[in-house]
Amino acid sequence: MKRFSWFNATSLTLGFAFLYLPMIILVIYSFNESKLVTVWAGFSTKWYGELFRDQEFLDAAWVTLQVAVFSSTIATVLGTMAATVLVRAGRFAGRTLFSGMIYAPLVMPEVITGLSLLLLFIGIGLDRGIFTIVLAHTTFAMCYVSVVVSSRLTSFDQALEEAALDLGCTPFQAFRLVTLPIIAPAVISGWLLAFTLSLDDLVIASFTTGPSATTLPIKIFSAVRLGVSPEINALSTLMIGIVTIGVITASLISKRAAVAQARDERAAARTA
Amino acid sequence: MSQTVFAPWNDPDETPLIRFKGVTKRFGGFTAIDDLTLDIYAREFFALLGPSGCGKTTLMRMLAGFENATEGTIELSGQNIAPIPPNKRAVNMMFQSYALFPHLSVWENIAFGLKRESTDKEAISARVEEMLRLTRLTKFAKRKPHQISGGQRQRVALARSLAKAPKLLLLDEPLGALDKKLREETQFELMDIQEKTGTTFVIVTHDQEEAMTVASRVAVMDEGRLVQVDTPDVIYEAPNSVYVADFIGDVNIIEGHATPEGERARIDWAEGQPPIWGTPRGAAGTGSGAGKVAFAIRPEKVAIAKEKPEGRRNLLEGQVIDIAYLGNSSTYHVKIADGRIFKAQTANTRRLVNRDITWEDRVWLSFTETAGVILEG
Ligand SMILES: Nc1ncnc2c1ncn2[C@@H]1O[C@H](COP(=O)(O)OP(=O)(O)OP(=O)(O)O)[C@@H](O)[C@H]1O
Ligand SMILES: [Mg+2]
Repeated sequence: MKRFSWFNATSLTLGFAFLYLPMIILVIYSFNESKLVTVWAGFSTKWYGELFRDQEFLDAAWVTLQVAVFSSTIATVLGTMAATVLVRAGRFAGRTLFSGMIYAPLVMPEVITGLSLLLLFIGIGLDRGIFTIVLAHTTFAMCYVSVVVSSRLTSFDQALEEAALDLGCTPFQAFRLVTLPIIAPAVISGWLLAFTLSLDDLVIASFTTGPSATTLPIKIFSAVRLGVSPEINALSTLMIGIVTIGVITASLISKRAAVAQARDERAAARTA
Repeated sequence: MSQTVFAPWNDPDETPLIRFKGVTKRFGGFTAIDDLTLDIYAREFFALLGPSGCGKTTLMRMLAGFENATEGTIELSGQNIAPIPPNKRAVNMMFQSYALFPHLSVWENIAFGLKRESTDKEAISARVEEMLRLTRLTKFAKRKPHQISGGQRQRVALARSLAKAPKLLLLDEPLGALDKKLREETQFELMDIQEKTGTTFVIVTHDQEEAMTVASRVAVMDEGRLVQVDTPDVIYEAPNSVYVADFIGDVNIIEGHATPEGERARIDWAEGQPPIWGTPRGAAGTGSGAGKVAFAIRPEKVAIAKEKPEGRRNLLEGQVIDIAYLGNSSTYHVKIADGRIFKAQTANTRRLVNRDITWEDRVWLSFTETAGVILEG
């Protein structure tokens, strides 16, 4: 049997080309000497230099990072709390309504979320800036965190928490010493999800931002409207690089954990 | 030499450690515990026996503080425990599912409870080592729960609940996963711990031999109610109902109609068969010895012989249809007149090859007038 038929090879190539060709073109043109994006004029890294001298881009990057870190952290805390209550509290009046309401923002069009938040901020007279973007991102990222964490909590054996209480823990200690370490991987992936969502959000950020705070996606979007510049290509290439490194690191870490566990199990089998 | 018998339940001056007063527990519409009243005394080794789903774990969970009684009150040392949260009760529980912390090593699992109440590292470490020795887990101290066997996990759970030396220890099937030898050793270990520390044990078990060995009293439960609470020998020798007789050990049960005749009662059980003679119990007990009754007799109290024994009033003739060889004893399944199977057990004092009764043999079963009990039919 032939492993790679002609048909298989073609569909594979087409599929990957579809996924990665745009990115490859972007990366290649980020090293273009010419200012014109569509004309190749030799290799150069000058646009990267430009980028790091461009204070506006650096400011936007800094804002984006702050927003992402704060909003994903707050969202993780709130989302984990919400998930714990919804999974644990058993049946209480309006439980279905509550869990439905937690998940509703997931399917809500971003434009509507952004607009309603904008109206709220205007209504309560909050000055728009980093703080309001953080609030807005926390609001929608929290739903994602709570989905991730509650799917882990449903398979969590509640007897473990009871055992902790039985051995003298307060409910908070039981959560901190037993539940949290066990569900930590889910909490961390919830945080990462919230972080990336915040990094690339354009719609909600543009609704809730003020003149003082511009995030990278907003910056890129407005720059592109004046024409694609090689600087933007360079910036995007950097972002692709960061994401790639992150993904590879994460998978290496989990692979290493799996290997360590397999080794422990073998050791256990020997001495048992 | 007179040794005082440990029987606080017979002493009217003794105050119980635990009092269940009319406790009912409902899960939605389902009644798991039904109006249960029970006293358990300090230093008791109290065994709960009953079929799966009869409410044993629920009873324990109410003592540990994970469930609240729907009705009635539970008192511990005279204090209503309903408002006391689980972490404030001097009660530890060994979970049926073990509930070991998967992210902690065996050592840390056992130390977990100790660390909550003390910061003295050396004392904790000494206590953990002691528990590890007791449960023979020293070798496995550094392992995680997923790296040890089922029986070892059970021992970790036991060690963890014992470590704090609580006033009341609840063990939910603590020894089920252990082999017979280790189980017996651990049973004696538990009794020893109890002697030394004066801890009160409430233990759930499916193994009646275990209940018989360790328990000061045994409670037999059925569908959330207590059927009988008594010392193991009374439960075994004088069950108060067919349910208890049938649940604990092997038993032959014959339904019939009883008529008192002097000290004895005559039980007519089958048309054209000689009656069985039994001894009615006092008027207070069940089985007054009149009317519709069930006669229950343990197989080991039934003698089996090839020749018709002389001078026995209770005699049944039958044919051996099966022999269950149990090593130290054999149980003969004998088909008697009306086609029912009657079991007789004898100790195997002779070697198997010298056994004179075998399949298809016609045999005589006999027993004394006091060997069985007459129960309400
Ligand atoms: N949280 C609950 N919700 C509803 N029903 C429950 C709950 N916990 C227990 N029950 C029911 O109560 C009854 C008693 O349960 P329990 O766990 O006490 O049984 P058990 O005697 O310990 O049985 P086993 O020997 O199988 O462990 C069962 O019928 C069970 O289905
Ligand atoms: Mg149970």
